[in-house]
Amino acid sequence: MVENKNKFCNLKIISYYTGYVILWTAALMLLPIITSIAFKEWNTVLDFIISIDISAGIGMIFILFGKDTVGKVKVEWKHGLIIASLSWFLLMFLSAIPYKLSGHVGSYLDAIFDVMSGFTTTGLVLTQDLEHLALGMNMWRHIITFVGGQGMVVLALCFLVRDTAGAYKMYVGEGKDIELVPNVKGTARIIWKISMIYLVVGTLILWINGMFIGLKPVSAFFHGLFIFMSAWSTGGFAPMSQNMLYYHSFSYEIVTMIFFIVGSFNFGLHYAIWQGNRKEIYKNIETQSFFITATLASFFVALGLSKLNVYPNAMAIFRKGVYNLLSAHTTTGFANVYSRQFALEWGDFAIIIMTIAMLIGGSACSTAGGFKGLRVGLVFKGLIADIKKLLMSERKVSVFKFHYMKDNILEDGMVKSAALIIICYIILFSIGTAMGVYYGYPVSNAAFEAASATGNVGLSIGITSPSVPAALKIYYIIAMYLGRLEFMSVFALIGFIAGGIKKLCRRYSR
Amino acid sequence: MSKIFKIITLSITMFLFVVITANAESGVTFNQLVENAKLYNGKTVTVKGEAIGESMKRGAHSWVNISDGTLPMGIWMDSNDAAQISVYGNYHNTGDLIEVTGTFNRACSEHGGDMDIHAQSVKIVKKGTPTPHPVNKRRIIVSIISTICIVILLRITYKSFKLQK
Repeated sequence: MVENKNKFCNLKIISYYTGYVILWTAALMLLPIITSIAFKEWNTVLDFIISIDISAGIGMIFILFGKDTVGKVKVEWKHGLIIASLSWFLLMFLSAIPYKLSGHVGSYLDAIFDVMSGFTTTGLVLTQDLEHLALGMNMWRHIITFVGGQGMVVLALCFLVRDTAGAYKMYVGEGKDIELVPNVKGTARIIWKISMIYLVVGTLILWINGMFIGLKPVSAFFHGLFIFMSAWSTGGFAPMSQNMLYYHSFSYEIVTMIFFIVGSFNFGLHYAIWQGNRKEIYKNIETQSFFITATLASFFVALGLSKLNVYPNAMAIFRKGVYNLLSAHTTTGFANVYSRQFALEWGDFAIIIMTIAMLIGGSACSTAGGFKGLRVGLVFKGLIADIKKLLMSERKVSVFKFHYMKDNILEDGMVKSAALIIICYIILFSIGTAMGVYYGYPVSNAAFEAASATGNVGLSIGITSPSVPAALKIYYIIAMYLGRLEFMSVFALIGFIAGGIKKLCRRYSR
Repeated sequence: MSKIFKIITLSITMFLFVVITANAESGVTFNQLVENAKLYNGKTVTVKGEAIGESMKRGAHSWVNISDGTLPMGIWMDSNDAAQISVYGNYHNTGDLIEVTGTFNRACSEHGGDMDIHAQSVKIVKKGTPTPHPVNKRRIIVSIISTICIVILLRITYKSFKLQK
């Protein structure tokens, strides 16, 4: 009886905070409504009114259901993880309503695919005819990716009336684990403050750059805003279906490259630099790891492209090879080549390097996806430490350290948990590759696309299209979701649901 | 006589074959260009598509992206030619349909490896038109009903929190 009551309390507290996250994310639909009113896109205004009403309604019902447990039930780890994963899951369906109503997607599955791609900052696209999409709808696509990068839970936590004791657990559930200040509400606000300041600066730079390359002022502003939102959140969405190729501009590519590299760095690193600790850039294990892997991968991609004479000169190799490689490595997904060019022209060697870069990804506690540089650095340091231990005298006890915001002692547990997450990613990627091969795609192409979905990158080799089998679309949605939330939250949600079903079955079998 | 007839027939057949083969590059789609980029690289092609977005003036030349329904592609054209295009495709309009004859580059050395077409001639085939978006009456009714429901729910939530306090 007590156990049942506990279970009900668990459900209520999860419901309350999930509703809270849904409500704040639904409120964001006001921005596309304002945009569409300004540009006289009346059907889009109606689409968003219907969508915001449905989403806010569901959010409020969840809040009403669980409100009596607030302050009475302590938020535990399992609650935090489940709130994060459940919010993401439900928001995937709710945020897809305007997509479906716009008529630019083939099916509701395509709509939720694009939403998950946006929230997870992946950038794979199934929305058709972007050229004729309403500006309000384009605003929504980019808001989704911008908010997804920072995290919807992080957004909701900013608006908490008081600092909730369990807020940290929800925050961790969204794949972020760094505390910039002692309270989580403060940390969430700093994350958003950093992002908003960059948003203003970045949009301004891209706006000016846009006018400089021939875009009209109003259009340059929206292109600048959308492209910055995508670059900073390492999302990869763009307002036109040619993605970065639309602009035919080296300066636009350079500016976006700077922003997506900066966006792929840890929020802790940004905060440390803002606090005047500039040395952190060189000392941090993640920036070191990123610099090494990005340099090596860029070199190998350039080597592969040169060998096949894909591009006529060094400038073209840099603009196409290095740009797309860095876009892949930071898990952004901006592309300035056609998807099919990867498959038809780049050759297997460059594709393999791109695939590895996509899997490694950016920094932990950033907007980027992939294994994360921190984990790669930890496993590498752990390996070096083990070799050193083998070569040292048995009587000598050595302590191995690494620098990540502060000097830390390298413990076996850290290396083990980093390796475990990497293994989970590899399993997810392998299944995706196998499924792609099963549906008739060449191995290298299937691996490229699976790495793109798993690492939340968004580059496509041409597989992702409305005609792809539904099972593959669903798998990519799962891969994006698991990859972004880094498994544990989703596993907790599955465990909670499975536990509930098991109990129901037991009750009815008695 | 029969020999002369055979020679004339063969010559006409060969001429027609050459003409047909040469014309194969006209009316090519962007998807075909991407899929067979090496084959078409450096060749003169004729493409037709809707002007989208806007033109981007870069001195004497401009970039205009056009879409033929399979893919969009960038056309590098004289700014005077670009000025002829009056309507570009977006939510409110269907852009001008233009026909471009020019050199296809798989990886243009002048433009950092972009796959593009350098236009020799640009022709407006059809003027762009505004796209009608009639407001859906059923959606108006649904949105009014859903907004009323949400206001009621908001009031219930507010009252319930007030009572709890």
